[in-house]
Amino acid sequence: MWIYERKLQYPVKIKNPNPLYAKIIISQLGGPDGELAASTRYLSQRFSMPYREVSGILTDIGTEELAHVEMVSAILYQLTRNLCEEEIKKSGFDTYFVDHTAGVYPIAASGVPFDAKYIGVKGDVLADLNEDLAAEQKARVTYDNLLRLIDDRDVCEPLSFLRERELVHYQRFGDALRIAQDRMDSQNFYGWNPAFDRKPDSRK
Amino acid sequence: MHDMNEQKRLFRMIQQVSFVLYETALYLDTHPHCRPALAYFNKYNARRRELMEKYESKYGPLTMYGQNCSSDHWQWVETPWPWEYDCQ
Repeated sequence: MWIYERKLQYPVKIKNPNPLYAKIIISQLGGPDGELAASTRYLSQRFSMPYREVSGILTDIGTEELAHVEMVSAILYQLTRNLCEEEIKKSGFDTYFVDHTAGVYPIAASGVPFDAKYIGVKGDVLADLNEDLAAEQKARVTYDNLLRLIDDRDVCEPLSFLRERELVHYQRFGDALRIAQDRMDSQNFYGWNPAFDRKPDSRK
Repeated sequence: MHDMNEQKRLFRMIQQVSFVLYETALYLDTHPHCRPALAYFNKYNARRRELMEKYESKYGPLTMYGQNCSSDHWQWVETPWPWEYDCQ
């Protein structure tokens, strides 16, 4: 189970609301490479991982991603507080507002709602870990793109923190892949899937 | 006012020490035999326990299992939630 700690992983304190920024940052909540996809991906993949260290890193990074869901949501919440109708219309936030008001709902910047199609759980050690490595890089690119478009220190600081976490997670998934490969048949990584097949020589 | 600053300072320290611990824990997951990392984790984990104890005894619980300072009301729902502008 999980226990809630009533603190953000990194502070979010945004002086100036800006619904246009919220409209693009929301992709890191409910978009294809967003934090909700990340947490769901890792916390689902961990069950079939045959190596304890790898299940551990999936559990702990998946849990950190839940904290990132909360941080991105806090950014969205603060960017859309105290809005007037004029701002809503002028910023283009009206297309979100009409369905969700100022509630926090997971969609991509393009308006497509969150979908489990954004994640892969193949039940195969190499396929899943390589998906995770790519996912961290894709999320990093999305943060890079957001940082290109946003000009507010209060918003960029927590986004830069989140971007750096993608780099660290990429390193840790690289370690996890090395651990997995060290335990697999180095003559043929692809001969069998240790998440499903028993060792070939132990098969009856 | 002074008390408010003290609360924010403590809260920020808990955030920082917690981050140090989480980062070290991720490293230990894939380097479970690294003694320096283990010692580093233990050192900051003790520090975090002290800070949490100090914060919760004065300002209320940070987790549901934390210290509720009052015997007649449930503080969990009284202090600001972390996403509120004034919480940080």
